[in-house]
Amino acid sequence: MSDADQTQTLYALREVPLGKPVIEVKNLTKTYGEGEATVHALAGVSLTIERGDYVAIMGSSGSGKSTLMHILGCLDIPTSGSYHLDGVDVSRLNDQQLALVRNRRIGFVFQAFNLIPRTSALANVELPLAYAGVKSAQRRTRALAALEMVGLGNRADHDPNQLSGGQQQRVAVARALVSQPALLLADEPTGNLDSKSTADVLGVLDEINREGRTIVLITHEDEVAHHARRVIRLKDGEIVSDERQRPVEPGSARASRQEFGQPATAMDGAEWA
Amino acid sequence: MGLMEIFKFALRGIGANKLRSGLTMLGILIGVGAVILLVAVGNGSKVAVEQSLQSLGTNTLTVSSGRAVRSSTYSTDLTLSIVEALQDKNAAPDIKSVSPVVSTSQTLTYGDTDHSTSVIGTSRDYLDANNSKIAKGEWFTADDLTDANRVLVIGSTTAEELFGTEDPLGKQVSVGGQIFTVIGVLSEKGSSGFNDPDDTAIAPINSVRKALTGYGAINSILIQATTADAVSAAQAEATAILNTKMHVTSTSNTPYQIRSASQLLETRTATAETFTTLLGAVAGISLLVGGIGITNIMMVTVTERTREIGIRKALGAPRRVILTQFLLEATMLSLVGGLLGVAGAYIGANFQITGITPVIVPSSVVLALGVSVAIGLFFGSYPASRAAGLRPIDALRYE
Repeated sequence: MSDADQTQTLYALREVPLGKPVIEVKNLTKTYGEGEATVHALAGVSLTIERGDYVAIMGSSGSGKSTLMHILGCLDIPTSGSYHLDGVDVSRLNDQQLALVRNRRIGFVFQAFNLIPRTSALANVELPLAYAGVKSAQRRTRALAALEMVGLGNRADHDPNQLSGGQQQRVAVARALVSQPALLLADEPTGNLDSKSTADVLGVLDEINREGRTIVLITHEDEVAHHARRVIRLKDGEIVSDERQRPVEPGSARASRQEFGQPATAMDGAEWA
Repeated sequence: MGLMEIFKFALRGIGANKLRSGLTMLGILIGVGAVILLVAVGNGSKVAVEQSLQSLGTNTLTVSSGRAVRSSTYSTDLTLSIVEALQDKNAAPDIKSVSPVVSTSQTLTYGDTDHSTSVIGTSRDYLDANNSKIAKGEWFTADDLTDANRVLVIGSTTAEELFGTEDPLGKQVSVGGQIFTVIGVLSEKGSSGFNDPDDTAIAPINSVRKALTGYGAINSILIQATTADAVSAAQAEATAILNTKMHVTSTSNTPYQIRSASQLLETRTATAETFTTLLGAVAGISLLVGGIGITNIMMVTVTERTREIGIRKALGAPRRVILTQFLLEATMLSLVGGLLGVAGAYIGANFQITGITPVIVPSSVVLALGVSVAIGLFFGSYPASRAAGLRPIDALRYE
């Protein structure tokens, strides 16, 4: 099955036209606490992100960017507003369907890496595939391919504590990419890294964006934001500026999807839509 | 995701922290092992009592003085004249022999060695009635009895305590300040766990009364029936004689107690059962405390891994898969720990504990293992289910 065919099969099953934005957010709010102690982390954010885009979200701490990211990653739920991911209203999904969305549609990279301790890099990268029900041998091939892609093919059997921060973050990126999600979310992926490791990780992100994957990342650093095609600035839970630095390459949405080993036959979207 | 895959996850989860897993299993091991072994010790003591009492013989009756009857104008003491009345073959054809027993607790001294034991003063028939045998030397003679000769026959434990490897025969021993000569040693009967029947010293009753206790009432009377089947007939005859001699009017309120060896067996078994119940209660408390320990370890272990559960959820793990993994981990830890505890108890039961050989009660194994595993399972899976129910971001933020 060719990539284009596979993509079409996937979307045909969910009856979503290819042109639909990956992310469509309207009037999103999130409040914490009650009464006088209420904090508005998000005060009405509306945002549309097209397929193949590379968006950097910037803002000082407390501006609500992490909260937005967690909601986009289906790790948290908004107080009000709507969130459509690939045209599907996320608020209508139950727990099991949300787990499937996280597993197959979204790759999430954390600032604190969040690798499972005392578990090899390979086993960490295999994890999303295991939850997707991919067979052991195939899982291994694809996880090794993903590690190869981030330049850590020779570190597959190392535990996280045997790897440097940059290497750990690249393992985390490999883990986020291994299930071939359309959307990669990264919450300050370079926040804990030195400049050399930052360059490595950003190199990997640039490459996967060129392959057509949508990336949304949070950053404090202008250099990191420089890699993005579009920069959104948040302040006090609202968008204050939205600049496009470079256009989305027209063909990128349909550009070839990097295959890690075998095609992802197990990842048809029918179960969750 | 197949069960086999989740099982591998669970194995990896246990292997990822060997020290923590080991300590968890150790806690369960000790809890289960202690309960089984405690109950086994109680049961073992009961079995030992039964065995030792059966060796006493079943054709004897013991008369002991009971409570004094108020408003009675007659003496309620057991006297030698009662003993003589019981020896009347016409009135009591089923009684083979009657031995008066005077016992007193004394300190025996030989050289620099002291040993406290009960000294029994009795007649010659006691040896046979008490199912005892002479191992060395001889039993005292009728002359020794009538002349109140200060001769002593001692049990094997007493001999060992006082003389060690020396030959006790012919040695002079001070009993409460009076000098007695050892003329015989009884053969060993074996310990019953509580009181050692081999720790005793026997002398002619007249010598004991003259030298040690004085001429008051005797403590008890040992009656030997002609055969084991004649015990109840002998008991009826003895009761009739005793009632006459002691002027008993109400049979429900006698100033003496008359018990057969089998009745004694029942009483002692009942005592041992009380002991088992007591140990069982202690075991129950250990099980409770052990259970709380298991609860604690499991809660902490799983709560500590809330963050890990958050990561797994963020990667798209369904709730069911997380729950199954933690349930399997808890099952393996508590089952392996519990089974090791059972194995430990079986090994421990091969050794004597405070002189008692433990005898394992199968139901205690089932109970201890069942309760521990159930507690381990519940408190291993409950915090996991709570964590799996959180939003991924809340689980990830958990510290």
